[in-house]
Amino acid sequence: MNLYAYGLSDEITAAALAFEEGAGIEGAKPFLIECGGIRAIVSEFGGERVEVTRANLRAHNRVNGLVLAETTPLPFRFGTVATAAGLVQYVEANREMLLATLERMRGCVEMSVKIMWDVEAMRRASEITDETLPPTAAVEGAVGPGAAYLAAKRREMAASEALKSKAEEIVAWLARGVGDAACETRTEVEPERELVVRVAHLVERVRLDVYRERLQAAREERAGELRFLTSGAWPPYSFSNIASQKPKFA
Amino acid sequence: MSISDFDFDSEDELTLLETLDHVLDSGLVIAGEVTISVADIDLIYVGLNVLLGSVDTIHKVLGERVLREKKSDE
Repeated sequence: MNLYAYGLSDEITAAALAFEEGAGIEGAKPFLIECGGIRAIVSEFGGERVEVTRANLRAHNRVNGLVLAETTPLPFRFGTVATAAGLVQYVEANREMLLATLERMRGCVEMSVKIMWDVEAMRRASEITDETLPPTAAVEGAVGPGAAYLAAKRREMAASEALKSKAEEIVAWLARGVGDAACETRTEVEPERELVVRVAHLVERVRLDVYRERLQAAREERAGELRFLTSGAWPPYSFSNIASQKPKFA
Repeated sequence: MSISDFDFDSEDELTLLETLDHVLDSGLVIAGEVTISVADIDLIYVGLNVLLGSVDTIHKVLGERVLREKKSDE
């Protein structure tokens, strides 16, 4: 029988968590497997491949949420199926790194901030003309299709750089606003997209109020210019990776 | 799980999208053990958008909602 794996914890106990019947994937009851001091939160799973359905996503989230209410787990990526022996082997092979990561995550939760901007308006605001660019010997005064192409390319690259600078300024501004309320940060910046900045903050539970106050203040500061989607508290998905493999889509 | 700032008609759907965004692309991975299948086409469509780094879908839903509200105010 395969097991569906939700997460790992070195603090959770079966007694501390009264898992609801049917809380897991496909209505299975979650339970713990002892892997030498690290416990895997799992449930029985009949298949080999997990379907991405609303029900399954909610189940994965629900079980990790139950654990998060008690302690901070290292959550597995959705769709993790293994045998009991495979799980034990995984924990054994990565014990040191897992224990260090559990220690780093202890008492913390992940908070998510997504920032959107009007990318077209930003492009217009960053419009580059030949007059705004410093002259170059190759382009200045040149005529013909080759020179026109190079000039256009140069404007395009300069506009791209301008967008990137604006996006990076947002990242720096948010970091200043949140300050030491977040102990770790993961940031993704995509200047050419509406969703320009995705940030995951690792926040100590005892500092959540401070974090929320600071984030709110920052949001209000640029409410007319940027849009925010904030969510949390999450298990530390963005901070748990000890491998960087991507899921395979079947 | 609380979702703030964006006040959606369907907060539950937004929570699901945020869940999707978190659980599909991050978290511990046991090498070779993560295999998921595309069972729910609508969800996957939206999910892949999220995975590709976009909440354009959320943005679009939000925009549509604002439009609906404007129309109902008129």
